[in-house]
Parts: sequence; C-alpha cells; structure tokens
Amino acid sequence: MVNQRLIPTAIEPRRVLAEWEAGYQTLRMHTTSQMPHAVAGALAMALGLPSTSVRVIAPEVGGGFGAKLNVYSDEILVGWAARQLERPVRWTETRREAATSTIQGRGWIGTATIVGTRDGEILGYEFDGLADMGAYTQNFTAAIPFLGLFVASGQYKMPTYWKIDCVATNTTTTDAYRGAGRPEAMYYIERIMDMYAREIGMDPADVRRKNFIPAEEFPVAMSPVGFAMDTGDYAMNLDALLETGAYDEMKAARDSARAEGRNVGIGLSTYVEVCGFAPAGLADLGFSWSAYGLPSAFNGNGLVRVNADATVTVTIGTGPSGQGHQTTWAQIVADRLGIPVDDIVVKHGDTGDSPMGIGTFGSRSAAVDGSAAYEAADRVRLKAAKLAAHLLEASEDDIVFADGAAHVAGSPESSVPWSEIAMVAYQPQKAPEGTDPGLESEVVFSPANATWPFGSHLAMVEVDAETGNVEILRYVAMDDCGNVINPMIVDGQVHGGLVQGIGQALFEEAIYDENGNLLTGSMVDYPIPTAGDVPMFELHRTTTPTDINPLGVKGIGEAGTIGSAQTIVNAVVDAVASYGVTHIDMPLRPRRVWEAMNAASGNGRA
Amino acid sequence: MYPREFDYVAPGTLDEALAVLASNPGAKIMSGGMSLIPMMKLRLLSPATVIDIGRIPGLDAIEDRGDHLAIGALVRHAQTASSDLVTTYAAALAQAAALTGDVQVRNRGTTVGAVAHADLAADTTAAVLALGATMVARSSAGTREIPASEFFVDTLTSALADDEILVELRVPKSGEGESSAYTKLGRRGGESDYAVAGVAAWVRKTNGSVSDARVALTGVGSKAMLSSGAMDAIIGSDGSEAAIAAAADRAADGISVLEDLYGSEEYKAHLAKVYVKRALGAALS
Repeated sequence: MVNQRLIPTAIEPRRVLAEWEAGYQTLRMHTTSQMPHAVAGALAMALGLPSTSVRVIAPEVGGGFGAKLNVYSDEILVGWAARQLERPVRWTETRREAATSTIQGRGWIGTATIVGTRDGEILGYEFDGLADMGAYTQNFTAAIPFLGLFVASGQYKMPTYWKIDCVATNTTTTDAYRGAGRPEAMYYIERIMDMYAREIGMDPADVRRKNFIPAEEFPVAMSPVGFAMDTGDYAMNLDALLETGAYDEMKAARDSARAEGRNVGIGLSTYVEVCGFAPAGLADLGFSWSAYGLPSAFNGNGLVRVNADATVTVTIGTGPSGQGHQTTWAQIVADRLGIPVDDIVVKHGDTGDSPMGIGTFGSRSAAVDGSAAYEAADRVRLKAAKLAAHLLEASEDDIVFADGAAHVAGSPESSVPWSEIAMVAYQPQKAPEGTDPGLESEVVFSPANATWPFGSHLAMVEVDAETGNVEILRYVAMDDCGNVINPMIVDGQVHGGLVQGIGQALFEEAIYDENGNLLTGSMVDYPIPTAGDVPMFELHRTTTPTDINPLGVKGIGEAGTIGSAQTIVNAVVDAVASYGVTHIDMPLRPRRVWEAMNAASGNGRA
Repeated sequence: MYPREFDYVAPGTLDEALAVLASNPGAKIMSGGMSLIPMMKLRLLSPATVIDIGRIPGLDAIEDRGDHLAIGALVRHAQTASSDLVTTYAAALAQAAALTGDVQVRNRGTTVGAVAHADLAADTTAAVLALGATMVARSSAGTREIPASEFFVDTLTSALADDEILVELRVPKSGEGESSAYTKLGRRGGESDYAVAGVAAWVRKTNGSVSDARVALTGVGSKAMLSSGAMDAIIGSDGSEAAIAAAADRAADGISVLEDLYGSEEYKAHLAKVYVKRALGAALS
C-alpha cells in the first residue's frame, strides 16, 4: 500500500526579509518560520555572529504544517546578503518554488500483515516499509519514520514487528508534514485492520474493540513497541463515536441504499497520536535544536509579567501559524490571575522578546508552552497574594483572585484591585520588607513524557458506479485531546486536519517523472480540497485528561489528519467491495476508483 | 513565478483598444485575467503588452435581442450563471458558467474571456458549441461573425485573428420544444475544478421526436468539440432512454481522446459516454 507524497500547501509561501541594523550591530530578520529561535541560532552560527547580534521575528505566519519547520538555505543567504550589502534584502518564493524546494511529506510504500484468529484475536502485526527521504536530509527528515514507530501499534495490544528502510531518491526532500509519520503509520494499521475484519467476517468496530489496550492498563500503559502512554480509554471513545454517529442506523441506511443499487460504504478508523514533545530524555536521541547551537531540549517557555498598569504581557516560545495561541494563552493566564482576557497581550515568535523558544510543531504548544505559561502565572499569583495580604492585612492563604482584584475569601467587601497590587510591586518601599521588586515569572517546563491523544472517526461515502466519483455523505469525528481550553479553536484545528487528510485520500499527489521532474508543480496539477469539496463535519469529543502537565491537555493540531485518510479509504473500499475490490491506493480520484472497480470485476458486480 | 516585464494599457474605449492592438502585434487582451495572469506567471505566455479592456463601458450587459441573447465581453461568470435570461433561454450556458472555477474566479473571470481562451477543459466552450452560438469579433478593420463550430481551432487556439477582440457572444434563445443542459466530472470529483469530461447538449423536439440536436464535449480531446456520433444517433430518434443510450455509445466516435493526470484515454472515452447520456437525459427530461 502506497502512502503517497504530498506537497504541503500553506496559503502563504515562504518569505524572508533581512536588514542589518548598523546602530545596534544586529541582523534583523522577518521570516515565515515555525521555529524562529532555531533560525536565529543557525544564522548566528553561519554568519559568525553572537546571539545578541541576531534577531528573528516570525510574525503571524500564513500556515506551516511542518513545511516551515526547517532552517532553509534561503534564510541564511538572505541574511548573509543583507549583512554584506548593509541594505534590506527580501526574498519570496513563488508557488512553483514552494512545490519544488520547500519540503514535501509522506512518500511511504509498505506491506502490512496481521496474523489473527477467525474470532478476531490478533496474534501479531508486521509492517515492512520504504520511506522516501528525497535527495537530502533536512531538519526532521530521518526522524519522521521514528514518529511512525512511536505509534506503530496504534490503539492495539498486539505483538508488533515494524521495520522501515529509509531511501534517498533524486526528488525533493521529505520532512514533517502535518502528522509526520503518524498518519502513515496509522494508515497501514487501520487499512489492514479493515481487511482483517472483512476476511473473518466480523464488524470492523468489534475487531478493533477486541484488541484495544484495555483502559485499566492506564496510566501508564506500555505500548507494544515500548513507549509509556499517559492516559486512554479507547473503548469508551469508540462507543461514544458509534452512538453519536448512530453506527447501527448508518449501517441500515447503507444497506438499504445498496438494495437500490447504490454503492454506499462506511469507513471507520481509530488512531493514537504521540505529541506534546518532548520529554527531556528525547534530547539525547537528537530531538532538540542542538544543531542550531541552542542549549535546550524541547522544553516549553513562558514569561508572565503583570505590568504597572495591571495589564499582562505573556511571552511564549512558540511559533504559531494560525493556531490562535494569543487567544488560548490569554485564557490560561486570565484564568490563573483573575485578570480580564482583554488586558492580556500574548507575544510570540520574536527572539528579541525571549531568550529561548522551541517553536510550534507536533501538536506541542499548549501541552508544553501552555504549561509553562500556566506555571509562570501561578508563581506571579503567589507573589501577588503576598502583596495583597500585606495591603489587606490578611493572611495570604485567604487571598483569592477574580474580576481584576484580590479578595479575602469569605469577606468580599475586602479587596484590592490588581492595579494597586502592581503599583506596590514596582515600588519596593511600599512592599513588605524583603520582597523582590517586579511582578513577573519565567518558567521553563520540561514534561516527563509525551502525551497520547486518541480518537475514532466514521465516514459514509457514495461511489458513482459509472464514474468512480466519491462523495462523502457524512463525517463524524470523536476526538480525545484531554482537557479543552477553547472549544472553537480545537474544532478549527480538527476541521483543518480533516480537510488535509481528506485531501490526501481523494485529491493530492506529488508526481515525478522518471527523470525526477515534478509534474505537479502548479495548483492546476495539484488539486487541494476547498470548503466546497468537503461535507459539514460532525465533531464530538470525549475528555480523558493527561497527568503529564498541569493543564491536562494533550494536543489537537494533527489529530484530524492522523485519523481521516484511512477513514475515507476504508469507506470507499467498503462501498465497492461488492465488485471484488480489496484496496485502492490514494488519491482516490474518480479514475482510480473506476479502474479498480473494472479491474476487479470487468465492470460488473462480482 | 513572476511574469516577464510587460506594458499594461487600460483603454477607455473599444476603438482605442483596437488601435493599441493593431499597433502592438502579439499583445494580449485581458478581461477578468483569471487565465491570462496565471499563464503569464507560469511564463507559458509572455506578451509584450497587456490590453486591459476592463474599463471600457458598455461591455458588461446581457441583452435580450429577440431571437438571441447578446453577452458582452465583460459579463462575469457569476452574472451569466445567475441571469434569468440565460437560465431561461440558454440553460446549458448558465449551468456551465456556474460550474466554472471557484467563487473567486466566477466573480472576476468573464464568460466571453473564457471562450476566447479556448482551454481544452473549460466549461462554457462546450455550452456555446451546443447552443450554436455566434462569436462577434471586432478589429480596426470592422466586425466579423464566427460560428461557434468554427471558433475552436486547437488547444488554447481560437479562430480570432491577432488584431481581433471577441466583443460579444450571441446565443440563440431556446424556444418552444428546445432545451439544453451541461454536466461534468471535475478534477476534484463531483463538479469541482476543470472538466475531466464535460458535455453540453441542446435538443429540439418536434412532434415527439428529436428534430435537431447538438452535443459538445470538453476535457476529452484537444479542444471543445461536437460529438457527431452522438448527434447522428439522437437526431430523428424518439429521445427515449434507449435512444439516449444509443447516442451515448457513439459519444467518442471519431474523436481523438487525450489522456492526462486525471484520466486515461479509455476512462475519458467512457466518461464521454456517461456524460452524453446525462446531458441528453437532462436536456430531454
């Protein structure tokens, strides 16, 4: 089964603007990056500058999906040119350059095998794959198959043998693309799981449920490939999906449509994700920015400062590209301090603001940097409680914060506003003796483990018997990303993820000719889904908090992509199984589905 | 990519545009720019001069001229698609305009411009062929009328001369017993994106039989073209399901099918049949 190469297609191509500021002896660069601190580190190393002479700003970036999780030679060259010329230098890639020289994703071929009993007990799972690295390795190129390995056995407790050979080809380098190894790994398990269910004549949901890692093994379950998993209750989540998605009614609707001669099919997939990188131990395996001269493992950074006017500045180490971090972090801090969201400003993506930041990737930001901001806010709150206790002549243990003020628990008339607390904090002579001035805290959060979100997806499709065209009739997702800070943002992440997974299932494919020329270098030849090409999604959640971080959040950025491609393929294969079709490689363009139906049956139902 | 350097001219009158065109051989006319600009950015085209006719007044109307509709050079796809006149009297053209590109393209691109562009997988090209439209071309030497059946010469090549501007599309109004329809499979499945295969059909029924018909294919060969096989089969028939099926079987007769990333020759020839059946079925229903 082929998990085809994809071209990450962000709405904003990569672009760089650099300027040498002679007065400050500083190279200032604006760039579309998910990891500005790494770009700054790389620039300093390449140009022989101290870190104080490099400032990289990644402003509101127009989409990344992993493609901007690299230090590209273009960035270094633009910086070098600006330094040489002492003039601003700008570079913007064209859409065709984005297709050919920005990294691509996926590109696996693999054979999956399940050995199991006729009553649905899996005795072993084996995967033997080839991963296309492209011509050169970049930031995470060789790490992507490892991310697949981490989740190699999915939600299941089954002896797993997983082998992948990484091969160089004369094509564009592959690297992280939304999900990065995990969609590929999940695709193979969930496709073979469906084939197994069909082979033994068991309902696909029942086969899956029968082989789940049981809820009682959490925490901390050990995955069959040796990773400690934080929390999970897979049967609960699947049952919630089947109930909410009305699985039985859906099957009845499918069967009655089939009785009318329509090719309707249902597809199911479960998934686990591993994210929230990273436990400090992973730095020893190379999961860090040490190559860019930076000292840190993948920790989270959060600086919370209550200013003298009781506004709050939150500086974080992420490099978002549309994930709504300003909203989410403001909520986290507002909740801890009792200061209105509108009075909180969240700054990210500027290495001039913060000494260290890992960036945004791998669904890690809320779990790791969010936790850093949470803990920093907590420390600020503790200090403010001391000051408030002093002003109110109360015990600091009795101080609570709400509605922009500190109150004494039990006597609401006794309160002092944040503005007064802040004024005292910045005037040591008014504070209790021995109090350090200021009202801020910076926390570096190092999680003990990654987090393991999970979920299950259900789709109903119809295949046009004459053309092979696939129409998605329903798509129901039951995701579990632990606690949810902002439901609308989480829904938005799932929407985007689903669309990209459906894009892989139905539309997208990077095609090279035998000489290594990209044949799909324009948007005319590389179709991506738009809002009009996908159904209204039915999004639901179960909530299984993690114990790895104080927020109990796991991560949701990639879940939609990890769960969806095989859900669609499973549904399409179910729809045309009566023709004798057992598998169709993505993308399931009408042509390919029609050819599979013909090949299997000679254009008649088997 | 970026286009090569070019001169941009935005004349205020048609005569002025024609004069600029006459004195700048190889200049390209731009109406909505939805095809021209991407082609220039990909450097498939590098005209020395682009003449933007977008500011010329009087070209943006759909008029009822008694026996035909006149569609001006600046009428947008969205306008064509939602026009009561077009929906009532030239349904296939309204349907093709509605299925062209995406919302942005339909709000900016023009029906006449797309026809003049003559893309092999455009939608409106098949509709104007099936509807038996007439193209009105102007040059500084005068006006020329070109039947749709002679307009599409090859991929991206029309019968327009270098000094001519396609200023108007005249579409005969479907009258008593006449109707038309357009349907397609798009590259992103359903009806989305360029046509993998699209078919426009126009039929006239007299006394229970199909007295005249035109069936046009797009996306299948090197240009939009009439399917003489399907037309021969359906004309004179009773327009029944069986007659439609017989016509569909001959959809690709004598047509050289071109394969691309979205369809093999075999698949596209098959789709031609499927969509001839569906378009004729819709027109005759």
